[in-house]
Amino acid sequence: MSQLRRRRDALVLSLVDSLKSAGSWCGETHLQKAVYILQELTGVPLGFDFILYKHGPFSFDLRDALTAMRADYQLRIRANPIPYGPTLVTTETGKKLQERFSSRVEEHRIEIDFVAAQLGPKTVTELEQLGTAFYVKKEDQSRSIEQVAQRVNELKSHIPMDTAREAAIDVDGIVAAYASLAR
Amino acid sequence: MSVRSKSKSTHSVKEIWNSLTPPLRPDDIAKLAVGAEEGAKIIDSKFTDWQAILAEIIVGDAFGADRMDYLLRDSHHTGVAYGRFDHYRLVDTLRILPKAPESTGSQSLEPTLGVEEGGLHSVEALLLARYAMFSQVYFHRARRIYDIHLRDFLTSWLPKGRFPISIEEFLTRTDVEVMFAVRRASREGGVLGNLAGRIIQREHFRELYQRNPDDIAENVDAASAIYEAASQVFGRENVRLDRDSKGGGSPEFPVLRRDGSIISSISLSQILENLPEAAIDYVFVEPSCRDEAIKWLKENRRDIIESAKED
Repeated sequence: MSQLRRRRDALVLSLVDSLKSAGSWCGETHLQKAVYILQELTGVPLGFDFILYKHGPFSFDLRDALTAMRADYQLRIRANPIPYGPTLVTTETGKKLQERFSSRVEEHRIEIDFVAAQLGPKTVTELEQLGTAFYVKKEDQSRSIEQVAQRVNELKSHIPMDTAREAAIDVDGIVAAYASLAR
Repeated sequence: MSVRSKSKSTHSVKEIWNSLTPPLRPDDIAKLAVGAEEGAKIIDSKFTDWQAILAEIIVGDAFGADRMDYLLRDSHHTGVAYGRFDHYRLVDTLRILPKAPESTGSQSLEPTLGVEEGGLHSVEALLLARYAMFSQVYFHRARRIYDIHLRDFLTSWLPKGRFPISIEEFLTRTDVEVMFAVRRASREGGVLGNLAGRIIQREHFRELYQRNPDDIAENVDAASAIYEAASQVFGRENVRLDRDSKGGGSPEFPVLRRDGSIISSISLSQILENLPEAAIDYVFVEPSCRDEAIKWLKENRRDIIESAKED
């Protein structure tokens, strides 16, 4: 059990580092959405349960896992200048864990780097829209772009239809990009 | 209260809620009362923005009324002063706010729970109180080992090692029945008597090891490694491992400044940025093994921690 948890933690820590390399701010919202896409689109087995909640898909299991990683000195919060939210940073202990499970991390390197490259440059607002659109599309794969946008707007009333439509198109693009990578 | 009368009263409450205008729907109340984390498992997994806010006010991790209540109550009843904080000030300064920007030019408009700048110190006090209560009370070694001994006893005493799941049967097992069973078993000897004696005669296992940052830096699973090695030397029945962390999220929330701007709590408070997370790793041993185990650990600790860290 402990080994499984540590392997999973090593994958999450590796995603944190990849997101940073891809230019991500890497706050907790960024990481929540990136783990969601990594697990649900590319199928990397992380075992987190997601619900539609804060700023789109959200996992309480992941939140608790990040807190446990901070308690184990693998991850820390770094403050940013006022007014911005904090960034998650892997520590030396966290890097050691990645080394310990390096074969596991390398096994999923392509998927981790793909998700980091796709989501790293996006802002937290864009990730909230994208994550919600992905969640809605996954609920019912037959939904058209218009239907996805409509449902996103229903669930998150602060996301206007035009923006929701762009997010739905973005989701289709990322799914297609991963499909061609997987081929 | 019997099951029948409980069911009847629940039905009556439902009738009262339904008769109100607008009606209070029992499912909505249940959803908010358990919050998103538990609610997703039993009811509807989708929370609207406002349902999420209401659930945060009731059972939220940072400022939930439930959290404030148990800290203050446990602090009072245990006589531990750490759990106190200015909850009046905190409640007065709670505000529904957009999230602070997480990166340049990006701010979600989704509402969330935050505080006015004047309440920030009350939040710091709440979160420090929570850390201290976990470290000093909930995660105290004596409390944790008694939990383990009680669990060992219940697993042996209960039919098939677990509480019944039918409501009628479950309600027949109160604290009184369990405490009586522990006391009676301690007088009768045998396996059950031995387990009960750990509690009644205070013959609980003693601490052999607890986590520390140096060992974790070397091997994050140092406690598990020591537990496995000690189990081989002293027998698995004489050793117990206990690992836990507090859970919950980071102490990040929006703060409304006097000039109307919204900023992240972490950018404003060094206390929140550096607030440690409460966690425990304990290895306990049977009292008669303790002296030998301490000597053994002193001689082998470094080798055990270093040799077990490879995947």
